[in-house]
Amino acid sequence: MESILSVKNLQVVFSGFKALKGVDLEVGDREIVTIIGPNGAGKSTLLDAIVSKSPVAAGNVYFQGKDITNKNPYDIARMGIGRKFQNPNVYNELTVFENILLALKGTHGILNSITTKLTKTKKDKIIDVLDRIGLLGDAATIVSSLSHGQKQWVEIGMVIAQDPSVVLLDEPTAGMTPEETHATGEIIKTLARNHTVVAIEHDMDFVKQIAERIIVLHQGAKLAEGSVDEIQSNPKVIEVYLGREKINDAA
Amino acid sequence: MAQSTIGIATRSRTPTRLGIVTAISFLVMVILPFVVGEFQVSLLSKLLLFGALAISLDLVWGFTGILSFAHGVFFTLGGYAMAYYLKLNLSAENNTYGGSLPDFMVWNGLTELPWFIAPLKYFPIAAIAMVLIPAAFAFLIGWFIFRSKVSGVYITIITLAISSALTTFFISQQAYTGGTNGITDVSKLSIFGINIPPNGLYWIILLFTTFVLVGSWWLTQSNFGLILRSIKENENRISYLGYDVASFKIFIWTLSAGIAGIAGGLFVPLNRFISPVYLAVAFGTQVVIWVAIGGRGTLIGPLVAAILLGQIQNSAERVTQDWQLVVGVLLLIVVLFIPDGLVGTVQKLFMKKQQPASTKQPVIDHN
Ligand SMILES: Nc1ncnc2c1ncn2[C@@H]1O[C@H](COP(=O)(O)OP(=O)(O)O)[C@@H](O)[C@H]1O
Ligand SMILES: [Mg+2]
Repeated sequence: MESILSVKNLQVVFSGFKALKGVDLEVGDREIVTIIGPNGAGKSTLLDAIVSKSPVAAGNVYFQGKDITNKNPYDIARMGIGRKFQNPNVYNELTVFENILLALKGTHGILNSITTKLTKTKKDKIIDVLDRIGLLGDAATIVSSLSHGQKQWVEIGMVIAQDPSVVLLDEPTAGMTPEETHATGEIIKTLARNHTVVAIEHDMDFVKQIAERIIVLHQGAKLAEGSVDEIQSNPKVIEVYLGREKINDAA
Repeated sequence: MAQSTIGIATRSRTPTRLGIVTAISFLVMVILPFVVGEFQVSLLSKLLLFGALAISLDLVWGFTGILSFAHGVFFTLGGYAMAYYLKLNLSAENNTYGGSLPDFMVWNGLTELPWFIAPLKYFPIAAIAMVLIPAAFAFLIGWFIFRSKVSGVYITIITLAISSALTTFFISQQAYTGGTNGITDVSKLSIFGINIPPNGLYWIILLFTTFVLVGSWWLTQSNFGLILRSIKENENRISYLGYDVASFKIFIWTLSAGIAGIAGGLFVPLNRFISPVYLAVAFGTQVVIWVAIGGRGTLIGPLVAAILLGQIQNSAERVTQDWQLVVGVLLLIVVLFIPDGLVGTVQKLFMKKQQPASTKQPVIDHN
């Protein structure tokens, strides 16, 4: 299968510290890939490097066969890669509606932004997004007054509105109750019907709910890769990651 | 369900109460010259231009979050363009030396008009220069500072440096700029041989400032305005949505400088001179103060603050020389106790009254 997103020998260095030590990743069209790994493993950094938030020291990122390594973030976004950040990165001073409107797919030029009107088609699209993230009743609410979980949904809504080919989600369920986490899983599964999804997650139930393929990162390198069952029975993974989770759970 | 959400949270571009208030104020101001004396008309004309200048700063500071002390510079560059036009069109008998060369050039030993000043003799060229020179200058600066991702306080420091550097430069180029005195004793405004009387100039200025206010309001209600506000809150996030933040900043910065330039150009026939005083940081600070006191991001606030403070200043200067101190204290009070400024605070109080405190429900379909 032809990869839509392809990461080759990616290295990211923060003032001498190698956060990524040559990571490879192939993601097929409309696949759901989940990245797990202990804190500080470099999961967020991997997504940051793909969207040029962190500079790539060596290696390459290809999107639909084109080299996008260290390109402008806005070019990468326009090409069709959307990103949800680890801590909800939304506009707190704007309303929920305005956050989604900003993200809405379309042209991003200056003159267009001045002359464009809020057409019924656009409004319907936004209403549809709000409906999917369960925030239709909060359209006019200023985002700062929402709960952490709701903010996560606003940002997921922004990514949906952006309608990119590849969606990168960084811990989309952090701070959510089990019910909210499950609801988010369903949103993501619906999204994955016509989008490629790469999600970082900690919650193993959630991973089982959505994952087709799992990548395990550890200390800036890929430790393992496979199906849910393969990963859960992999001794190395149990040692550095899953085992520790169990100990944490017991404590 | 969908029916009840139509109209949610979208800022309407059709005039509301504020529009009506603006329209009434405009009409009152149109007939003002028939009621008050020439001195008041001339003073109000100046204050309206300061208001337009304050609005232009509000676009970049209040909406986009770029604090600039260089708006006096853009204003003054427009002012010099107009001042050359007026100086070069002094009738021969009004010119101290009877010739076509401005007096300060003669004093400084120039024997002919420099080629880069000569075209400003023609009104269309001067009018274009009054917008284009400040705008082009701003575009250049903007291109460097916004593309190089300088941000926050460093931009503000750069604007301070620009203001100081240009003040020094204009003072040093005495033969071309009139030095510290600037360009003085300019002719009254006449366009294509038609003299514009003080009331006519007042109406032109009233139209200009109204246009700046309404135009800025229209602009900031659009998606463009939404993008500016998001740049102000977090300029990085929006680039991951596909927006080239630098180009938006350069655009609003350049537009704002163009507006400031026209205001400066119209200021000169009233003021009858322009000098490096208006390039200096002190004047740039005054513009910042109008915006801060009036209320950032409110457009009308900076306009009202410029007019009111100007009026007070005019009366206060007769009583005390320490006017700057009064303004300083006023600013301190605003910064400490009413950070939203006068109009911003009134708007917030007004919004709270509309929305009963007991319900956290968003206002849907109230208009
Ligand atoms: N911008 C940055 N500057 C310096 N160090 C960073 C930066 N971002 C991440 N790091 C470091 O890189 C490592 C990987 O971080 P991160 O990718 O956030 O881990 P994860 O998302 O897997 O928890 C950590 O040691 C972190 O401290
Ligand atoms: Mg992380």
